[in-house]
Amino acid sequence: MGVLGFHPMWVLAKRELRSAIYGIGIYLTILLSLIISSVILQNYIKSVGRDQLLITASPLAYPLFIATVVCAVYLALSSVTSIAREKDMQTLEALFYGPVDHATYILSKYLKGVLSYIFIVLFLAAYFTVASTVSNLGLSLKFLGVLLLSLFLSSCVITFGIFVSTLAGSVRTSVLLFLGIAGGLIAFQISHGALVRIEEPSLAAALIYLRNTLAIINAGVKWTSPFHYMNQGMEAVSLGSVGKYVLSGALSMIYSAVALFASVLVLKRKGVRRTTGE
Amino acid sequence: MIRTVDLGKQYGDFWAVRDLNLNVREGEIYGFVGPNGAGKTTTILMTLAILQPSRGGVYLFDDQIRASRADVRRKIGVVSEKQFLYPQMTMWEYLDFFGELYQVENRGERIAELATRVELDDVLDRRLGAFSRGMQQKVGFVRALLHDPDLLILDEPVSGLDPMGIRQVRDLVEEENRKGKTVFISSHLLSEVEKLCHRVGIMNNGRLLAEDRMDSLVRRLTEEVELDLEFSKEEPQAAEAVRGFDFVRGIFMEGKFLTVKMKADQDYRRDVVEALISRGHVPVGTRLRSMSLEEAFITITKENISLLTKADA
Repeated sequence: MGVLGFHPMWVLAKRELRSAIYGIGIYLTILLSLIISSVILQNYIKSVGRDQLLITASPLAYPLFIATVVCAVYLALSSVTSIAREKDMQTLEALFYGPVDHATYILSKYLKGVLSYIFIVLFLAAYFTVASTVSNLGLSLKFLGVLLLSLFLSSCVITFGIFVSTLAGSVRTSVLLFLGIAGGLIAFQISHGALVRIEEPSLAAALIYLRNTLAIINAGVKWTSPFHYMNQGMEAVSLGSVGKYVLSGALSMIYSAVALFASVLVLKRKGVRRTTGE
Repeated sequence: MIRTVDLGKQYGDFWAVRDLNLNVREGEIYGFVGPNGAGKTTTILMTLAILQPSRGGVYLFDDQIRASRADVRRKIGVVSEKQFLYPQMTMWEYLDFFGELYQVENRGERIAELATRVELDDVLDRRLGAFSRGMQQKVGFVRALLHDPDLLILDEPVSGLDPMGIRQVRDLVEEENRKGKTVFISSHLLSEVEKLCHRVGIMNNGRLLAEDRMDSLVRRLTEEVELDLEFSKEEPQAAEAVRGFDFVRGIFMEGKFLTVKMKADQDYRRDVVEALISRGHVPVGTRLRSMSLEEAFITITKENISLLTKADA
């Protein structure tokens, strides 16, 4: 990125942010995430009543976490489609005639994603404040911790989406690629987690072998999956460990930086043209 | 202004451009011609650092700068064959966006001024998706000129335009060149290049076959030229006045018109006219018919590559 790179980055991000805010997708996602959170919250309140619990630790943190996951995935999908659409329509090329280079372009997508997330967080914070008042479930420090950490964690998912979009050439391919990779990573994480929780004596030999294999793969996968960082962050919040919390935020930023750097390299390598022409 | 050094682009085993040494001088209109697939667009994309060369390099402005730098790109305006505009934006929104991107001062006034120049000022609030190909091409021109660049790179700029549109673009290019802009035009419309350009480079199969001034290029390729002379009345004796010159290869007289076929190694017009006047045959009009760029292009690319090679040697 040249010396004057920030201005074009800001102009590009601003245009996209404006179109996101004027569009309907972002509000539907907020609505969906709030519906899911409300269902979780309702079940939680029911269980509090049923079990006659008097004290509970940060009851709003988990519904908030789920809401942020939904919104972060939407933002990642939005990045995926926006880059691929520009490649499809070849509008990307006209930008590169001007003061936009690969790094400026990728960072503008990231900036737009983060700003969109901050916009979403305002709605989530407002909703949970109201929910806390209505349900009498207090807003704890952990809730604020999740809110802040979610910014770093959503950054991982957004950069992951940006990276996937640089790999594909069309909207359809990039969405399928994103869903495929993200689905694969989540499925892997769930299956590995499930196998780890089962005690060894109750496992068949084949399953033990599978568990050990998955453990080896997981050692690598956990660094590449943005969802791992989300889990790690949530774990830090539930344990109330400041050290793990800070580490989780720092690792998320490192992950984002690496993913952005890789995206710039891939975009450079693959070019901004769909075909080379004559 | 633009200099390429041994520039090459390879796709697999195929070289789209090879060993290209171009030199576009400051203030000139340079025509880059060649058939489809010659490597013109690939060269332009490498010049703009959109494609990475497989070999060699491109240098802009002060001979050391590459177009990958954002501040350098601010000095360049580009019009490509197709514009790929954002269809949901109005023309004003689109140009305002690019104006902001290029940090154009008083961009509202600048957009209005340029839109008026290309006669699109009445459609500024219309969505670009509804624009015809010709209108889109003009929007591309406005976008390229918005930030008042020093260098204009035009890739098939009149493609899709009607004769009126072609004329407007030609006038625009000439006007910008008069203001001091260097213009690099890639085109296969040779008649347009011929009308506009000071120098041309002829590409074929990824190679630069010739680069020269229009007249020098034609002179190098042509062995004979024809001089048409018109008299106010029939003058059958006029032919005798020029018959003795050793550079004359043939004489044709028809009515008031005399055509003298001459060697093209020098300009012999003065000799012919003086000889005629000395014998009392005063021509009222003359016209030198030499090879057109189209003929030169065909000669170079199809028939006579060896002639150039010999001349270069």
